[in-house]
Amino acid sequence: MAAEYAIELRNINKSFGSVAANKNINLTVKQGEILALLGENGSGKTTLMNMLSGIYKPDSGQIFVDGKEVVINSPEDSKKLGIGMVHQHFKLVEIFSAADNIWLGAEPGDGGKKAGLSRVLLKKERYDEIARTAEQFGFHIDPKKPVQAMSVSEKQTLEIIKVLYYGAKIVILDEPTAVLTVQEIEKLFDILRKMKAQGRSIIIISHKLNEVLEISDRVAILRKGEYIGTVETAETDQEALTELMMGKKADLNIRRTKIEKKNPLLEIRDLTVKNDEGAIAIDHVNFYVRGGEMLGVAGIAGCGQKELCEAIAGLRKIESGMMNHNGESIVGLSPQKIIEMGISMSFIPEDRLGMGLAPSLSITDNMILKKYKNNRLSPLVDRKTARRDAQEVIDELEVVTPSAEIPVRRLSGGNVQKVLLGREIKSEPNVLITAYPVRGLDINSSYTIYRILDDLKQKGVGILFVGEDLDVLLALCDKIMVLCHGKVMGVVHASKTTKEQLGLMMTGVLDLSEANGKTAGIAKDSNIKEVQP
Amino acid sequence: MKKVLSIILALTLTVLCFAACGKTDDAAGNDANSDFLVGAIYINSQNDTAGYTYAHHNGITTAMKQLGMDTAKQLKIVDNIPEDTEQVSKAIDTLAGQGCKIIFGISFGYIDAFAEAAEKPEYKDIIFSHATGYKSNDVNFNNYFGRIYQARYLAGIAAGLKSLKLQNNNLGYVAAWGTEYAETCSGINAFALGAQSVNPKAVVHVNKISTWGDEAKEKAAAETLINTYNCCVIAQHCDSAQPQLAAANGKVFGCGYNSDMTAQAPTSHLTAPIWHWDVYYKLAIETAMNDPAHFMEKVGIYYGGLKEGFVDISPLSENCEPETAGIVEKVKTMMVNGEWDVFTNVKLSIDANGNITKNTEAMKDNKGADVISADGNTYFAYNTETGALEAVDGGKDACDGVIKGSMNYYVAGVVEG
Amino acid sequence: MNKAKDPFVRVVKRDKMHPLLMVAFYCIAILAALLVGAVLLISLGVNPLVLYKDMFTIGMIGSRFAYKSIEGLLTVFTPLLITSLALSLAFKMRFWNIGGEGQFIMGALAAATVALRLGGRMPSLPLLLLMFLAAMLCAGVYGGVVALLNVRFRTNETLMTLMLNYVALYLLHFVGETQAPWNFYLSSESVRPVFQKLPKAAFMPTIPIGKFSLNISFLFAVAICVGIYFYIKKTKQGYEISVVGDSVSTARYAGMRVNRIIVRTMFLSAALVGLAGGFYVSGAQALSTSITNNVGWTGVIVAWLSKLNTFAIFGVSLLISIMQYGCQVASTQFPIIDSNFADLLQGVILFFVLAADFFIRFKLVFRKSAKQQKGEEA
Repeated sequence: MAAEYAIELRNINKSFGSVAANKNINLTVKQGEILALLGENGSGKTTLMNMLSGIYKPDSGQIFVDGKEVVINSPEDSKKLGIGMVHQHFKLVEIFSAADNIWLGAEPGDGGKKAGLSRVLLKKERYDEIARTAEQFGFHIDPKKPVQAMSVSEKQTLEIIKVLYYGAKIVILDEPTAVLTVQEIEKLFDILRKMKAQGRSIIIISHKLNEVLEISDRVAILRKGEYIGTVETAETDQEALTELMMGKKADLNIRRTKIEKKNPLLEIRDLTVKNDEGAIAIDHVNFYVRGGEMLGVAGIAGCGQKELCEAIAGLRKIESGMMNHNGESIVGLSPQKIIEMGISMSFIPEDRLGMGLAPSLSITDNMILKKYKNNRLSPLVDRKTARRDAQEVIDELEVVTPSAEIPVRRLSGGNVQKVLLGREIKSEPNVLITAYPVRGLDINSSYTIYRILDDLKQKGVGILFVGEDLDVLLALCDKIMVLCHGKVMGVVHASKTTKEQLGLMMTGVLDLSEANGKTAGIAKDSNIKEVQP
Repeated sequence: MKKVLSIILALTLTVLCFAACGKTDDAAGNDANSDFLVGAIYINSQNDTAGYTYAHHNGITTAMKQLGMDTAKQLKIVDNIPEDTEQVSKAIDTLAGQGCKIIFGISFGYIDAFAEAAEKPEYKDIIFSHATGYKSNDVNFNNYFGRIYQARYLAGIAAGLKSLKLQNNNLGYVAAWGTEYAETCSGINAFALGAQSVNPKAVVHVNKISTWGDEAKEKAAAETLINTYNCCVIAQHCDSAQPQLAAANGKVFGCGYNSDMTAQAPTSHLTAPIWHWDVYYKLAIETAMNDPAHFMEKVGIYYGGLKEGFVDISPLSENCEPETAGIVEKVKTMMVNGEWDVFTNVKLSIDANGNITKNTEAMKDNKGADVISADGNTYFAYNTETGALEAVDGGKDACDGVIKGSMNYYVAGVVEG
Repeated sequence: MNKAKDPFVRVVKRDKMHPLLMVAFYCIAILAALLVGAVLLISLGVNPLVLYKDMFTIGMIGSRFAYKSIEGLLTVFTPLLITSLALSLAFKMRFWNIGGEGQFIMGALAAATVALRLGGRMPSLPLLLLMFLAAMLCAGVYGGVVALLNVRFRTNETLMTLMLNYVALYLLHFVGETQAPWNFYLSSESVRPVFQKLPKAAFMPTIPIGKFSLNISFLFAVAICVGIYFYIKKTKQGYEISVVGDSVSTARYAGMRVNRIIVRTMFLSAALVGLAGGFYVSGAQALSTSITNNVGWTGVIVAWLSKLNTFAIFGVSLLISIMQYGCQVASTQFPIIDSNFADLLQGVILFFVLAADFFIRFKLVFRKSAKQQKGEEA
């Protein structure tokens, strides 16, 4: 007789130094259910799950698996108990093939699967064996494909197969949808439902309410390291969950201020850019951004957003085309020069810290990253202004930090992004390019950032907003440009389009680039004086 | 628990400290000179068990014991000092600071540091004595070296007799350097002359390894001499016993250097030129202790040989030909008496019965040029810049200077490679 | 029921530690290392108290010329301090310059070349300035080339600097052992190859303080120490080094010319090491094949032990110099102790300081105490 609960946690406590990450957490997961673990950034979700996967050990408290008390000292212990975790940051060896990555975890005692010689030698059969396992769960994966050639979604699939291959009964997924497109999310949810149907218990960590409501059976909520409660998904809604998660009612309306049209500030004409591998990433793209206008950029991951941003910021050589700022060409200018012209670019990569911030440096030092050279007469860095700026950003954007002298890497994700965006705003740009500014942020922080962007727009700043969430793009932006494989599929007014239409354009099914007999993305009052053939 | 452990540890240490204190205290000398301190600077570790530093350390300690001194208290050593003037100067300062009254430096490259220190007013009461060098002053700075070529000549006789017996005229010589250094060059020549005195047809093949110490190269050089040049005796001027081991392996014979290498190669070793450094150290320390004001008159620039017992050959092993002992003894006596020396215009010719004939003739180098004139009054050396053979100033008295400094040719019967 | 047991001990992250407590930890580590050293010494029959006393007073007690001990210490300390500081500049940028040995030699060689070639022709001050300029340039280029190749062709700077150490060393051996008419490095009066003494004008001036004469290079070293602190903390170039060291992509994004910064910083780092070499040869008054006294390697250790903190570098290199020099002095009292013991002790200290580092960041929780905790909670 199986116990009612696949997992039961009692009074779990865990602190890091003086910070209590988990305080007296009680949590149950039923056999064969999908439990969503909901909470804002830093509420202790990942810490709690890492104690199940054997990465951390609780300071106190009990863990029961299938009704029996267990002690999990290591990931191996966890694996033996049938718990498998798919981490937010994949733990894969990039140069290995899919099969070898799965094989990597093989060791004596894995249910006798790796007995004898195969423990020592890599056998060809491993490819077939893994392909079989994948098919069994309805996945399609090429076992010989090296991980570095895989898309994010494929990597995630591989992680899930890995967990299933070792016979996990309880599968934990940490923010699995953060890096996926709408379509990929649907595919993932199908897989999760299939796994549930096979009797597995699934814990999915998330802070996206709509997804939680769509996939889960029950929702457990953490807030600031404390367990708030568990509710049946069927009996709740977005507002109720938000309130549980944040401890207060929140305004979930995105503000979009309409302001008077101004001249085109940034104009891009016929731009072609190659990516690091030398393939065309941006293909003859036209668009413009007016002052006081927010242009959204929609597209599935890796369709040229990064290359576009880097080209405008002067970080990437362009192949052909024009880029004008206020009628002046910025092609071939140094990044420094472009910054001085008032074009600010902030790109939040998947690891959040890769570009834009120096993680080991303090908030103060990061404030002056782009303008430390401003006073050309002095060889010294002006830290006085920097300190003032840092304090202002901390106050205005409610950055949670003990002081402005703390290294940025010690801040939580949301606060890191606030620092980055705060700095860009402080530099008083006239064009702001921002890619994924709310990547990985919780609701509260996200909405703060939407408000900040709208405030900037009101001041006449032209904003290029590269986003992932179509709902947000539709609510926040004035116009939306859709990219597909580096080509513009059209520029549409946000108030006159739908999510479905955008989805069709993103996948290249619908092409509006030449609609109404004119090329999309060319302003009538263009500054580019040029005779069109 | 942890506290208890640490207390026990601390207590043990304290007790052991006092025990160690007590141990160093019991050796005490009541000699009048029991507070005379000797300083020494070594190129390698004083705890070496063979080699150059060991030979000197052994010499100093032997001499001090003979003088009734306590080496544990009266000998101060700074070792592992490379040939870097700054580091040597620091070592001198250390020893001077501790009150040493005579400081020995054993490596050639210490020369400038020693010369400078001797001139410092605060060190006027300290004697500086530098091995193998050529600098000195009139008051407190000398250098010392020995006529090791005399011993090499005797070893050459033993090797020459062996080659006669084996009817193989090829002798091998593993040399750290060749004609670059008078020290190696004179040694090779003396060995060749010794061998030729009994076997006029003897040829010495020199294999130069171009370093003062590399055991692998020493071994390889000896093997080449045995296998390629068919040498029947391997002599050496390098630090380790590797050439002798190679000789034993190759079933040929050998002459070692520095110590009696019969211990390492009992079946093949004949005899080795050796140093008795203690002879000099005893003289130097004794003089510095009793009459430092006249050190330069009594010791001065020291160049001792067989006569002083400063150099010698190790006891002839059983591998030597039976007639060796008699001939070697005769020639040795000639050198001790001052009747004859190696680098002169007199060449010895010794027959199988041990009869010695003196032939007065010019000494020729292996290019056929006269390097010592037939009248014995002119010594020659090659000018390193022009390559021309030039007479060395000083006539007959240039002899020691040539051997110590300017000899840069091989005598007839020596080939390099 | 509870089959799996808690592990006997586990590692738990610590709260941020008070700086004073941290210093105390490092002191305890050094004491522990000395204690281990003491056990070794006792086993050799040496009284550790006597040896340590001589070591840490660098033999000044009972010396006839106590002031010379300080002079001796400074000749060890000055090159080590400058070299460690210079290396820390490159390390700060995460550019692994382990070519200190080679750069030191090139600096010394360049300074000696100038001194020997121009020695008789000009007064002391301009000669010294020229020597040090040549030392910095020569070593700077020697290191800068590595940076240039790194930014241009992505060559590995660790391997390059490492190999160039040997190139420089063998170059030094070559000029030190090759007797030839062109070789003005060698003394003409010696039959054996010996490096020629520099002309008097090339000697580093000293300031007499009573009997003690203070080598001016030490004052420069202290000035360099303060200068580097200021450079890293206050200047734009120092700021650029920190950013490039932290994240190259962020530096590019901020409009920094990363390649130029890497080459410039590496040049500066190598040039300063070269300056240390120039100072040394000018103080030693002659070249030698063992001129570096391993500062290029020891400097790496100092920089890491100090966590690249400029003033910590001052303290750590002073400590290591005292150990090296003091141990040499102390070893004269004991036949069984040779200078290798200083290296041994250094290794033990390094080990314990790394351990202290670990315990500053983490603490150990034993099984028993974990249970007690549970009991208390209940």
